[in-house]
Amino acid sequence: MKNTLALVLLVAAVSASCNRSGPAAGNGKPTVALVLKTLNHPFFVDMRRGAQEAADRLGVNLQVQAAEREIDVEKQMQIVENMIQTGIQVLIITPSGSREIVPALVKVMNAKVPIVAVDTRLDAKTAADAGVRTETFIGSDNYAGGKLAGEHLVKVTGGKARVAILEGIPGHETGDSRLRGFRDAVKDAAGMTIVASQPANWERDQGFNVFQNMLQAHPDITSVFACSDLMALGAIEAIAAAGKTGTIRVIGFDALADARKAIDAGTMEASVAQFPSEMGRVAVESAVKVIRGEKLPADIGVKLALVTKDNTK
Amino acid sequence: MRAARQFGTLIGLVLLCAALWILTPHFLTLSNLVNIVEQTSINAIVAVGMTFVILSGGIDLSVGSIVALAGVVLGAALQGGQPLPVALILAALTGVACGLANGALISWGRLPPFIVTLGTMSIARGGALLFTEGRPVSGFDASFRAIATGRVGVAPAPVIAMAVVYAAAYFVLARTTFGRYVYAIGGNEEATRLSGVSIRFHKTMIYGVSGLMSACAAVLLTARLNSAQPIAGINYELDAIAATVIGGASLMGGEGTLGGTLVGALIMGVLRNGLNLLGVSSFLQQIVIGGVIVIAVLLDTVLKRKHRT
Repeated sequence: MKNTLALVLLVAAVSASCNRSGPAAGNGKPTVALVLKTLNHPFFVDMRRGAQEAADRLGVNLQVQAAEREIDVEKQMQIVENMIQTGIQVLIITPSGSREIVPALVKVMNAKVPIVAVDTRLDAKTAADAGVRTETFIGSDNYAGGKLAGEHLVKVTGGKARVAILEGIPGHETGDSRLRGFRDAVKDAAGMTIVASQPANWERDQGFNVFQNMLQAHPDITSVFACSDLMALGAIEAIAAAGKTGTIRVIGFDALADARKAIDAGTMEASVAQFPSEMGRVAVESAVKVIRGEKLPADIGVKLALVTKDNTK
Repeated sequence: MRAARQFGTLIGLVLLCAALWILTPHFLTLSNLVNIVEQTSINAIVAVGMTFVILSGGIDLSVGSIVALAGVVLGAALQGGQPLPVALILAALTGVACGLANGALISWGRLPPFIVTLGTMSIARGGALLFTEGRPVSGFDASFRAIATGRVGVAPAPVIAMAVVYAAAYFVLARTTFGRYVYAIGGNEEATRLSGVSIRFHKTMIYGVSGLMSACAAVLLTARLNSAQPIAGINYELDAIAATVIGGASLMGGEGTLGGTLVGALIMGVLRNGLNLLGVSSFLQQIVIGGVIVIAVLLDTVLKRKHRT
């Protein structure tokens, strides 16, 4: 009996510290849900900041939810199902799985809630088969980003390098596109050899471990391309642990604050910058346009840029 | 005492629902309640196996990895053109084989369940990744997906599946000698052994049941996501253990009920749903859920101590 009281008190305490009336009662403001992959990654934290600023400016009641782990698509599915219950007007989502999230989006379509996809595309065939339509996709061209990284590496190495690649989670559209872009950029340079390519699942500690093992197997690695900065930063630690700082060029993706510092310090060669807060801003602006009934282009590109020692600020 | 304790958990669930009903108009609607039970079904089924294991005084950390392995076997079989019943049987065999291996190592190898299932957790996960080269197996026929998307009246198919699993497990636990031995082994293993029961055989079977439950959960999860992911089911063991202990089972074994476990799983499901509906920050949600687990077990311990003195 007592534990029950504790439960209730806990809920009461939590609800007192948050929006008491619940998401949909936003005093006549339109309610938009932003469902992110996770909030324990600086990329998505930046995206939320950009989205929140736009929401405040445009008078939108923005509800942000995310799973604990980036790879937990089932949890993201539950969040989407729960958000439908609150009567949201638009769903903005960064899919944790391009195919796996589609069944949840079928429910969103059935509830007649328009969908805006950000950062990660839905798998075109799966979405079409299930009858899921997104109003627009907002994101940067990951293939072009991977290519940018590859071309830069060819340039700075004079087309001669033994390259290791740290991949994201296999089957993720984002990482796969970056990988393809990078491979396409280096394949024509005869002196570029890819000696190892393995997933480190977007995580910093896995980047460290996987790259440490790669170094054991291939001590002659001269360059690393990591499909995200967290993995690149893990690799940089592994390079330091091996006492090889400064001898291996590391290129990452995302241009996180930590990566920019590493580039300044010379432990990292470059990183492809995406602009997540820009994505968040455009996503909320697009949601407002959808509510007003305006038509949106199928694709809204957000710029990419290569950050090197010359332009870390 | 057991009945009173279970009743307490149930009242906890009811009061939690009442609180959410007051706090948000979106909670107490038919569609939301159906939604919650549907979301809970996978964890609730894994927790059935966990309840058998915990009742016998053991622990099974490998359930989440077995969900992934059985799922990718199922997915690969379906994509390989096997008929649905064959694919389901292969998934079940995968789960049961992993469970029996756990049980055999624990009983004949005399190893602690924590260590054995920790090892299996890694082996099954690695096996799932190796088998699929890390890639999800996705895109199945509508006939298979109906396992997740089908409905009987307002009840989604996963909820029906959960009800069937609970009914069957309840029968086994309450009405068969095997069920009585599960409690007996957890209550006093030595006394049970001296009364002529084969502890080794029954323990092995108990972990086999847990493996089978993981396979059932794998079927539902694969149908739900229309994809079998080798990285699926991470942390499922923690959710299942939480549901079981919130439901009043003792980690020392011999004490607990399936009804309690179901209520425990529902409390976690209602809590997650309610916190989403209230727009609570996802970081705060983790704190609340962790808090509920600790408080539930703490109160359980305090109540038992009082009862004893």
